[in-house]
Amino acid sequence: MTRTGIEYLRAKDQDSAVALVAEDPDAAFLAGGTTELDLALKDRVVHPSRFVDIGRLPLRGVTRDGDRLRVAALTTMEELAADPTVRARLPLVREALLLGASTQLRNMATIGGNLLQRTRCRYFRDPDVAACNKREPGSGCAAIEGVARMHAILGAGPSCIALHASDLCVPLVALDAVVELLDADGPRRVPLTDFYLTPGDRPDVETVLRHGELLTHVEIPLLPAGTRSAYIKVRDRTSYEFGLTTAGAAVQVDDGTITMARVGLGGVGTVPWRSWEAERVLVGSPANERTFAAAAQAAIRDPFTVPGTEFKVELAKRTIVRILRTVTS
Amino acid sequence: MTTTLTKQSLLGRPIDRIDGRRKVAGAAPYPSDFDLPGQAHAALVSSTIANGRITRIDRSAAEAAPGVLLVLTRDNAPAVADPPMSNLGSTMRWYFRDDRILHYGQHIGIVVAGTRAQAQAAARLVEVEYAAEEPVLDLDDPRATIEENPYGLDSSRGDAAAALDAADVTVDSTYTIGAEINSPMGLFTTVASWQGGRLVVHDTTQFPSMVRASLAAMFGVPERDVRVLIPFLGGGFGAGLRLWSHTVLTTMAARELDRPVKLVLTRPQMFSSTGHRAASRQRMRLGATQDGRLVAIDHDAVAANGIGDMLPAPIEMGTPMAYACDNVATHERRAHLNIAFTGFMRAPGSVELHFALESALDELAGKLGIDPVELRLRNYAEVHPESGKPWSSKALRECLTVGADRFGWSGRDPSPRSTRDGDLLVGQGMAEASFDFYAQPCTVRLSVDRGGNALVRTGATDIGTGTYTITAQLTADLLGIEVDQVRVELGDTDLPPAPQSGGSGLAGALGAAVKDAAAALGERLARLDGRPGETIASLLDRHGLDELSATGHSDLPAAAATTDLAVAGPFAATFAEVGVDEELGVVRVRRLVSVIDGGRLYNEKTARSQIIGGTVMGIGAALLEEAAYDPHTGRVANGTFGDYLMAVNADVPDLDITFVGGPDAFNPVGTKGLGEIGIVAVAPAIANAVHHATGRRIRDLPITLDKLL
Ligand SMILES: Cc1cc2nc3c(=O)[nH]c(=O)nc-3n(C[C@H](O)[C@H](O)[C@H](O)COP(=O)(O)OP(=O)(O)OC[C@H]3O[C@@H](n4cnc5c(N)ncnc54)[C@H](O)[C@@H]3O)c2cc1C
Ligand code: SF4
Repeated sequence: MTRTGIEYLRAKDQDSAVALVAEDPDAAFLAGGTTELDLALKDRVVHPSRFVDIGRLPLRGVTRDGDRLRVAALTTMEELAADPTVRARLPLVREALLLGASTQLRNMATIGGNLLQRTRCRYFRDPDVAACNKREPGSGCAAIEGVARMHAILGAGPSCIALHASDLCVPLVALDAVVELLDADGPRRVPLTDFYLTPGDRPDVETVLRHGELLTHVEIPLLPAGTRSAYIKVRDRTSYEFGLTTAGAAVQVDDGTITMARVGLGGVGTVPWRSWEAERVLVGSPANERTFAAAAQAAIRDPFTVPGTEFKVELAKRTIVRILRTVTS
Repeated sequence: MTTTLTKQSLLGRPIDRIDGRRKVAGAAPYPSDFDLPGQAHAALVSSTIANGRITRIDRSAAEAAPGVLLVLTRDNAPAVADPPMSNLGSTMRWYFRDDRILHYGQHIGIVVAGTRAQAQAAARLVEVEYAAEEPVLDLDDPRATIEENPYGLDSSRGDAAAALDAADVTVDSTYTIGAEINSPMGLFTTVASWQGGRLVVHDTTQFPSMVRASLAAMFGVPERDVRVLIPFLGGGFGAGLRLWSHTVLTTMAARELDRPVKLVLTRPQMFSSTGHRAASRQRMRLGATQDGRLVAIDHDAVAANGIGDMLPAPIEMGTPMAYACDNVATHERRAHLNIAFTGFMRAPGSVELHFALESALDELAGKLGIDPVELRLRNYAEVHPESGKPWSSKALRECLTVGADRFGWSGRDPSPRSTRDGDLLVGQGMAEASFDFYAQPCTVRLSVDRGGNALVRTGATDIGTGTYTITAQLTADLLGIEVDQVRVELGDTDLPPAPQSGGSGLAGALGAAVKDAAAALGERLARLDGRPGETIASLLDRHGLDELSATGHSDLPAAAATTDLAVAGPFAATFAEVGVDEELGVVRVRRLVSVIDGGRLYNEKTARSQIIGGTVMGIGAALLEEAAYDPHTGRVANGTFGDYLMAVNADVPDLDITFVGGPDAFNPVGTKGLGEIGIVAVAPAIANAVHHATGRRIRDLPITLDKLL
């Protein structure tokens, strides 16, 4: 499919933004554009008829409401990382943001766009590759038998192994963040852990977001005082690379026993991965290497691997052990 | 301003690039900056299989698309002659010669339209049907055609097999390196326009005279009617040393349309259109006495090559001259695979050889319990090991000793896993390198005018490394004028013929030619009866002359054939310290010291920049860079700058770079090329450091973290 022109419209307000996308099945929101413009103009794997630019809507900034932080969708990654409450109370969110992309990108990229970024799978992003179930349902998956180092091992299956590569989402799923959505039927709230869909037999459907629905805010509960948290990103290159495996964790330890634990994993899941399994092992257990190893074991259960991703099973476990050691030491 | 050479030498001074301001201001035109009146824009159609035949191409939808002016495929393309062999020993296989598909991304058509967007959209509408076959992608694939001794460089002195058998200690290891892509920043571009029968091409090339000769032959016009322009080049690392098909296709389209056509490759296309360092495998066998004297080197190498291609990038060439060893045998093979055509990527062959040889030497040092620096000194080749002639210059010993000193090598505990820093294992490794260079004849025209200003003209290119600057600096030095009184014109085949900028040979050849021109000019000036201390300006004035010119020439290959010296290239020793997070496999370079013998330096700053660039690229080669081929289609699966990882700033520690040695006795200016030597010893030094840190010998580049888990 080729289109020689894309209509560009700038939304006046939230409602008209929603209406302008809803009325055209091929229209798309445009926020910072760092994902969408690549896909549409460089890689040419998405073919929007219309961009509805939401970049100037007044959906920017961070407000605190008691022990919850409300982040408007157009806040940039750099802005959220610089927020004083994030600095003080959510160090894992700040670290995840600052280990992502590059400063230039983080100054353009929005939080809403980060949550909705598309996979980096190079088979998805090259229109000359025919077999991609995410792009063309039923066409197959070239990555499964191809070069799949940057792919997922959890939530993956024979239809698709594409990674959700966001760093930010890893702490956000661990922290029980909630997204606020808006469309013509009004607003709704969805926990981030329910927002993403594993591929199943519909890898093209990635979230519960409806066409034309605008992500307006992300609500992040703050961590209780005395919680220790951190984020770690393991990669070949020191900066400016997506993670091979990442982990974010927040724990409270009382007298050597873990009393609260939140674990999110990146680099491994088709969706940002919340590891309730690891948390179950951790809570009530002594904060020691044995516990960490057991948690890691529980977290990486039944991985779906291909030759290129096999190493991630071990690496992810070690990453989990490292982050747990870091936040409990 | 005098005609004598008594001024304090300008040569070697770290002056800023004379073109720096223009570059920073965006005023230096790179090929993609050229737009000609009436120009149309092109996009390529590339194959989506790696092996087979084209059975049908349907152009009609593309031809009917908005703005489209022309769609050329082999069905409707005019015939062209085969291009001639270049003096680097390569030629281009013209894809349109037959219906075969040899690799993924092979150019099978060009679409020209009013705008680039229109051309790119229409290129997707060209329908191609193939009879596809399984591609042959692996060096070990039994279906691969293998050529034995493809360069005629297999060599043997003494009896390596017998010496290996008799050796006290041996090493027998196999080393592999994945394919690497040159990846210059500047996307390769061709802007072609025919004016009457005359062709003018702005082309991204490091070798304009080769492009001129090739296009003239292919399109059947005299060379004097082809002009290739490349005043500024956004990097090449060897990618610009061959003629590539996009240049021919753009030139052809411009002729068919009788209007200028511009093509800028996309970044993914750069991964299969402009060459790369071939994947290779080497078996290195060393034999030594207990006290660390090398008695045998047996080197066996195989590297990939495109099908029907014949690029000479031998790995074995430097083996016999590396060490004083009586018994050396080399064997090389070339495996023809369904991969994009390879190219000359920075220190081609030498990077591969030194990774294997210098890793093997480290293994040998470990077995013998001899310090790696000491082992190299014990086998130091005082004279050329093949010819027995004295080197024209060789300060490799100083590279080793000065490097060891600056690095603090003597404090190193030789046992692996002996040093920790927090979570990290710390290791230190080193390697040396001997490099050959490749020079060609060069001609320059030098003029001085009544204002006392000089103009130097030659058809060479500056690939971003400082050729403009060092040419001006040398000229100013020879004429006793200031650098800003010298204007340098490069990158135009209408200028006197110059060799490629590649093979670390240009600076030496060009400098020698400038020196020759300055001498000729000096003679002409002398014939004008200069008075003591008289300036060039007044001399010309007195004789009513506007300017005076002379031509200078150098032919280093001819000189090399008759000299009693073993003509040396640059030498290097690199010392690296790495930290390895053993639990996670992550390797980071913490410190790196390189000491270089580059002969006499033109400019200490541009020289250092060359070594920095080579070192950064070496870190990438050691830890990051590898083109990943899809095993079924042969498509480069990581063909973007987001996916193909090169070293970024955060991967590079402070680099300690030192130059040693004096003027080379063979080169008239005393210089040796510096464009490639900086990369050569980096990967083995890092691999050796990883072994020292972890006790694990990784013989497969790049050393990505999964290999250490
Ligand atoms: C080279 C590179 C490196 C990167 N590295 C990292 C990294 O290391 N870690 C990491 O986490 N990320 C990384 N990213 C991804 C980057 O963070 C995302 O591209 C960015 O956050 C997307 O935000 P945006 O505002 O530019 O979104 P856009 O590109 O404008 O939009 C992205 C998608 O979301 C939709 N959308 C955007 N906003 C809304 C909204 N409010 N409501 C509904 N739909 C919306 C768009 O329609 C589009 O489909 C990298 C990106 C690049 C290009
Ligand atoms: S992994 Fe998913 S996105 Fe990638 S090729 Fe397969 S189906 Fe497409």
